[in-house]
Amino acid sequence: MIILEIKNLIKKFEGIYAVNNLSLQFRKGQIIGIIGPNGSGKTTLINLLTGILEIDSGEVIINEGITISKIQPYQVSFFGLTRTFQNVRLFEQMSVLDNILVVLTERNIFASLFERHSEYHYKIAKDILQKVNLWEKRNQLALNLSYGQRKLLEIARALAMKAEIYFFDEPFAGLFAAMREVVFEIIQELKQNGKTIVLVEHDIGLIRNLCDYVFVMDEGKLLAEGKPEEVLEKREVIEAYLGE
Amino acid sequence: MNVIPQLILNSIIAGSIYSLIAISFSLIYNVTKFFNLAHGVLAIIGGYTVFYFAQILNWNIYIAITFGIVFAGFIGLILDKIIYLPLRRRKASNMILLVASLGIMTALQALLSILFTNEFRTLSRNINEQKIFQLLNGSLTQTQVIIIFVAILITIFIVLLLFKTQFGKAIRAISDDDEVAKIVGINTDKIISYVFFLGSAIAGIAGILMGFDIGIEPTMGLNLLLKGIVAVIIGGIGNVYGSVLGAFVLGFAENFSMWKIAGEWKDAVAFILLIIFLLFKPRGIMNK
Ligand SMILES: Nc1ncnc2c1ncn2[C@@H]1O[C@H](COP(=O)(O)OP(=O)(O)OP(=O)(O)O)[C@@H](O)[C@H]1O
Ligand SMILES: [Mg+2]
Repeated sequence: MIILEIKNLIKKFEGIYAVNNLSLQFRKGQIIGIIGPNGSGKTTLINLLTGILEIDSGEVIINEGITISKIQPYQVSFFGLTRTFQNVRLFEQMSVLDNILVVLTERNIFASLFERHSEYHYKIAKDILQKVNLWEKRNQLALNLSYGQRKLLEIARALAMKAEIYFFDEPFAGLFAAMREVVFEIIQELKQNGKTIVLVEHDIGLIRNLCDYVFVMDEGKLLAEGKPEEVLEKREVIEAYLGE
Repeated sequence: MNVIPQLILNSIIAGSIYSLIAISFSLIYNVTKFFNLAHGVLAIIGGYTVFYFAQILNWNIYIAITFGIVFAGFIGLILDKIIYLPLRRRKASNMILLVASLGIMTALQALLSILFTNEFRTLSRNINEQKIFQLLNGSLTQTQVIIIFVAILITIFIVLLLFKTQFGKAIRAISDDDEVAKIVGINTDKIISYVFFLGSAIAGIAGILMGFDIGIEPTMGLNLLLKGIVAVIIGGIGNVYGSVLGAFVLGFAENFSMWKIAGEWKDAVAFILLIIFLLFKPRGIMNK
C-alpha cells in the first residue's frame, strides 16, 4: 500500500527551485532512504510535508485517499506524521520528562485542563526515555543536554507521538557509536511494528544496511530510485555524490 | 514620625497590583509573542462590570465580583477569537498584532467613557467603614489586605498551573516553540484562547481590586498596562517569578522615590527604571 504519495511538488526560494516538480511514492512499512548532495532539497521536502513550509504547487495524497495541497503544522499529527529536525528543536525550557509528557497530553484538553499526568502517561514516558538512555536525566532542562542527548530526546519525542510515518532528518549525524546503535535499533523496531520510516542520511553504509528503498535527489529533482544495492551502483548517483 | 513602615506597606500593595497585571500579561505574551496593549483596559472593564452590577443594578457584591472577573476573561477570549486568532492564522507579524491591540484598547476605552463617563468611580460604597489594620507602625485597609492575599494566591495558582498540570505543560511548550508544539499535536489555538480567558480574568481581578482600593476611571488601563510591562521587562520576559519580582521592584522604587521627590514624578520613575534596565540588564533580573 502507498501510505504517502507526492505529485509534482514544487517549492521555490527567490527563484531557486529547492524542490522541483518532484513525484514520489512511499510504501507502508518500509524504511525509505532519501539521499542527495548538500542543498538538494531533502530537508525542504520534509518541511513541506510537515507544514513548516508552504507548498507552492503539487499534491500530497495520504493513505491512497486524502488529497491535499496545503498542510498546516497542526494537521501533521492528525495525519499520522511526525518528524525530527536536522537542527534539533526541543522545548528547551522544559525538563526532559516534560518534553515527552507534553506530547502524551489528552487530546481533549478541557477534560485534562487542571489535571496532572496520569501514571499511565508516566509509564509510557519512562519506557521511551529508558530506550534512549535519558531516564536518569529526566529532570534536567532540555537545553542542558549534550548534542547527542538532544538528538535522542527529539527522536524519543517523535516515538511518543505514535505516528504512522516517521521523518528522520539525519538522525545519526554527529552521534557516537553507542548512540548510533540506539537510533539504529529504534528505526528497526519501528519497522517491525509496521511503521513507515523516511530517513534522510548521508552515510551510504547506513542506507545500505537499513533501507528497503532509496530516493536520490539532486537539485530538487529525483535523480534515481530503487533498492539501495541497485541505486547505489548507478553512475549518475555516484557522480552526484562525488561531484562532476 | 517614621514613614518607612508605611512606605513599605504601600510598596507591597502597589507591587501586588502590578504583579497581577504583569503575570497575566506575560502569560498571554509567552504564548503569542506580541504585546497585547488591550490588556490594561480589560482590567478596567472588570472594575466597571462590578460597578454596574453592584452599584447601578444593586446586585449582591460577591455575585457582581464573580461576574466582573468572568466578563473580563470572556472579553479577552472574544478578542482572541475574532481578531487575534484570524490575524495569527494569516501569519500577521507581531507588529500588526500590536497595532491591532492598540486599536482595540482605544475603542474599548472610548466605549467605557461613553457608558460610564470619565468620572472617577469607586466600588466600595462605605469607604470610611473599612476596617483598618495596624502593622509595624503603618496601616492597611481591609481592601489592601485582600489585595496582598489575592496577589499571593494568584501567583501560587499560576505557578502550580504552569508546572504541575497538562495544560501548563502545553502552555510552556507553546512559549518555547509554537510551530513544533503544533506538529507534536498540541492544539495551540485552543490553548491560546484559554490563556486569553485566564489572563484577562486575572487582569479583571486587578481592576476590581483597584476599584475597591483607589477607584477607577476609563483611561487608567494604559497606565496600569505600562506598569505591568515595565515589571515584566525588568523581571525578565518569559519568567513568571521574574514578573512578580519586577512588579515588587517597581512598587518599591515608585513609593520610595516619592519619599524624596515630588509625587508628579511617580510615573516617570517606572520609565527611568525601565531605561536603566534596557541599557544595563536588557534581559531582566531573572534571565541570564
Ligand atoms: N528557508 C529557506 N529560505 C531560502 N532558501 C532555502 C530555505 N531552506 C532551504 N533553502 C535552499 O533550498 C535548497 C535546498 O535546501 P535543503 O536544506 O532542503 O537541502 P538538503 O538536501 O537538506 O541539504 P543538506 O544535506 O545540506 O541538509 C538550498 O539551496 C537551500 O539554500
Ligand atoms: Mg537537510
